[in-house]
Amino acid sequence: MTIFFKLRNWFGSGEPWVWLNAAAVSTSLLMVFGLLALIAYNGLGHFWPADLMEAELVDGEKKSVLIGEIRESETVLAQQIRDAGIHLPEDVQRVKRILLKQGNRDIYGLDFRWILDRDVVNKHYPENLLAIERREWGNLYGRLIGIKENGHTIQTDEPYKAMQSRLKKVIELHELAGDISGNEIDAINYRLETLRLKEKKLLLEDELRENVFLKKKQMLIEEERQSLNQRFIQLQSKVQKYYDKMASDSILIGIASGQIVEVPLEKIVQVTKPNAMDTLQKLSHYFHQIWVFVSEDPREANTEGGIFPAIFGTVLMVILMSIMVTPLGVITAIYLREYAAQGVLVKIIRIAVHNLAGVPSIVYGVFGLGFFVYFVGGSIDDLFYPEASPAPVFGTPGLLWASITLALLTLPVVIVTTEEGLSRIPSAIREGSLALGATKFETLRYIILPMASPAMITGLILAVARAAGEVAPLMLVGAVKLAPTLAVDSNYPFLHLDRKFMHLGFHIYDVGFQSPNVEAARPLVYATALLLVLVIIMLNLTAISVRNRLREKYKGLEY
Amino acid sequence: MMKFNQEKPAITVHDLNLHYADKQALRNISLQIPEKKVTSFIGPSGCGKSTLLRCFNRMNDLIDCCQVRGEILIDEQNIYHKSVNVADLRRKVGMVFQQPNPFPKSIYENVAYALRLQGIRNRLILDEVVEKSLRSAALWNEVKDQLDANALSLSGGQQQRLVIARAIAIEPEILLLDEPASALDPISTLKIEELIYELKQTYSIIIVTHNMQQAGRVSDYTAFMHMGELIEFSDTSTLFTNPQERQTEDYITGRYG
Amino acid sequence: MENFRTGKHISQQYNDELEEVKNHLLSMGGLVEQQLENASRALLEGDVKLAHEVYKEGSRVNALEKLIDEKSAQCLARRQPAAGDLRLIVTVIKAVSDIERVGDQAERLARFATQLAEHPRPKNNYHEVYQLARHVQQMFHDALDAFARVDEKLALSVIKEDDNVDYEYEAIMRQHITYMMEDPRSINSSLDVLWTIRALERVGDHACSICEYLIYLVKGQDIRHSEIE
Repeated sequence: MTIFFKLRNWFGSGEPWVWLNAAAVSTSLLMVFGLLALIAYNGLGHFWPADLMEAELVDGEKKSVLIGEIRESETVLAQQIRDAGIHLPEDVQRVKRILLKQGNRDIYGLDFRWILDRDVVNKHYPENLLAIERREWGNLYGRLIGIKENGHTIQTDEPYKAMQSRLKKVIELHELAGDISGNEIDAINYRLETLRLKEKKLLLEDELRENVFLKKKQMLIEEERQSLNQRFIQLQSKVQKYYDKMASDSILIGIASGQIVEVPLEKIVQVTKPNAMDTLQKLSHYFHQIWVFVSEDPREANTEGGIFPAIFGTVLMVILMSIMVTPLGVITAIYLREYAAQGVLVKIIRIAVHNLAGVPSIVYGVFGLGFFVYFVGGSIDDLFYPEASPAPVFGTPGLLWASITLALLTLPVVIVTTEEGLSRIPSAIREGSLALGATKFETLRYIILPMASPAMITGLILAVARAAGEVAPLMLVGAVKLAPTLAVDSNYPFLHLDRKFMHLGFHIYDVGFQSPNVEAARPLVYATALLLVLVIIMLNLTAISVRNRLREKYKGLEY
Repeated sequence: MMKFNQEKPAITVHDLNLHYADKQALRNISLQIPEKKVTSFIGPSGCGKSTLLRCFNRMNDLIDCCQVRGEILIDEQNIYHKSVNVADLRRKVGMVFQQPNPFPKSIYENVAYALRLQGIRNRLILDEVVEKSLRSAALWNEVKDQLDANALSLSGGQQQRLVIARAIAIEPEILLLDEPASALDPISTLKIEELIYELKQTYSIIIVTHNMQQAGRVSDYTAFMHMGELIEFSDTSTLFTNPQERQTEDYITGRYG
Repeated sequence: MENFRTGKHISQQYNDELEEVKNHLLSMGGLVEQQLENASRALLEGDVKLAHEVYKEGSRVNALEKLIDEKSAQCLARRQPAAGDLRLIVTVIKAVSDIERVGDQAERLARFATQLAEHPRPKNNYHEVYQLARHVQQMFHDALDAFARVDEKLALSVIKEDDNVDYEYEAIMRQHITYMMEDPRSINSSLDVLWTIRALERVGDHACSICEYLIYLVKGQDIRHSEIE
């Protein structure tokens, strides 16, 4: 009885509520930080230079040498292994198995391999093992046997150093060649394409009448094309020279199976001796790898290299979306709150806007594809780019349509929050302005809008948070696995809204689920996810700091 | 019509009726408000005193379902005539509200706001008017060193004087005060009352107040309203010592009607 | 319009306070009335003991006067009365001093009554003086009555009555001047009589003033120093 009363008093005191609230908050925090920690651990660990193990694998009578990174180890039921057709003694209940990244995909076919720990003997970590990151076929592990120049072996005292210095030169050349083909040749190609379209347009326009100037114009175009072509050939030969120079050097690597493989230096990104590195070197290598990840283009079906285009595409798309959604949402909210007579119609519109926020995003994607891409884009192509046909310019998924679709998706959020902000401005302030002889517009422009700006930014923050994480509609209206060029470049008009773009969210999906090399891709999925979260946090923090500054400016609104 | 022949009227009201949708808020109001005097409107809540006040600068236009019949003459012009520009009218008839409502801008910009709306950009003119208005509102000495500070950092009483300074910066003829001191402490209230006394040299002032003592203190004439009707309008001393109407007496002595 | 009511305030306490002030005033009036009565009888009967009663009452009247002034001032400070309430308080403050003066005059009467008791009494036993005393007593009583019942008609009749008192006063004065001329030995007692009737005439004036205040209280008009229609 007393316990019952005590309990009742305790409930009456309201203390359980405090505990309940505390529990809810801590659970939320735990989940958020747990999620972030999991992603960060799995993603960031990938960039750490792992030690290379050399060991012997005993398989019955046969013995073979293994070289590779241990990626994972787990203990499984022996029965599971037996079921897979591998013979194990009867008395064994559980076995430990390890996932070895053995690299050399071009030679072995697979670069990841599960082996039983009990079959592995003589594990050691020799310092002279090399991890060679190649432009194709993934990593190669082995020992440096020799260096070749134009097919002749070179004798040096320190082959590793000589190889590194040669590699450095080759990489410099590679960058030069990449610059030329990436910038200048691309520019020429772009101009050639523009010329082609221009000529076609001329022909289309003058199809029916014989224009005196036509021939002249055509000649001018032809002249320009000639000069461009010449320049193209020059550049091409220059690049070819670089490639020839690069192709002269190669190294000989002895791999685990005993084979000697010749690897041209031009195919190599970097060569490291992970086992010989001290912690400081590993650390600097680690940060270098992270930098490479965020700043470079992807290779090997997105499973290697960086994800810079995806970051760039995501941010650019979000910014474009913000530019579109903010004015539209704010103007709509102002109309609904300030100008429209608060009748049934406005109520219906408001309900519609609120409901729009609940429509699944894929529906927006379908709408964007059907309306914006095919209808609007198609019409634009017909009207303004007849010369490009049958290739579509705007009649195909692209950055513009993705931004507009997402703007539409986030529009309700901006409208609702802006309206909320407008309604929170005390009518006394409005009246104060009107009573001084200001018109309604002046009051809006000089008093109401500045005061509602924090709310607008709040709307934008919510919009950005939603848009940056959205993937499903983007798959339909513009995000692609691999975009050949960024949407911003040095060719006029610099921002190419018609181009397709890469997106972090889509990149995660693609790498995680569409990749031919799942094991290699998994850490990248985590790393990319972490980056996506970071990008969203950054975008939000920027907006929040802007909002806080505005709030500070217009504080004291609440009497 | 209740009027005082010896005074020149600042506002003349003829048979004013005002409806909110189907509710009548003002009934057959006729009166003349004398120039350069303080006239106060008193009456119980919902008696229509604020509504009447808001008719003088057409603040009631903001309410959709509000209909006005009758006429209000200011400078012999019916302000409800369709040729009247409401913004011009409001520049002529300034208004101060119950809650101090400075804009979230600097003190200087608050006072200069209406001038800027009129297109005055000349810094010298603005400086001069800001100083003059703040001096008139008895605020200059308190804020002259912090003109760029946010107006919301001032105290309630200072804010209200700032709002008055803002209203007189464009030199209206008439100043409407809608319970200007009801949100303030007694000392700030006295400062505002003192200010009203100073300002009546220059402006015709109409003040709505719930505080009868305040009406008694500051006004030259007092109108008592009840249920949308003007019950009694006379000089303040008479109304407070010897009201002619039973309703007025009941109200000012605090009795049930 | 019946303009003067103490009741029906939203604040019952305010009602009570005003009622209290008014009741104090009336009870003070009652005391003074008693003083006046006693003094008159002392005069008529040469009763020195009764005259001493009058002095004793004096201190009670003074205490009441102070109390009423204090209550009125408190009411002004705390309630800020307006209109009828304001006029009531103003009237009370003024009336209280008039009543107090009436009390003073009663004491003077008592003093003269003791002095006159020492002189040989005329054969009419100062009957004419007693008549005047009765007259002003009635006036004072009516004034208080008018106050208690808020009867401005009665008040007006009291004011009009004052003229009669003045005639009586002059008649008695002339009579005693004649006595003094006829018989210089009567100068002493006649002078006392003259002082006495002078005091009585002042009581009549105070009664008048109280009635004027009452009319101000009811009508809101100050009729002092003006002709009554």
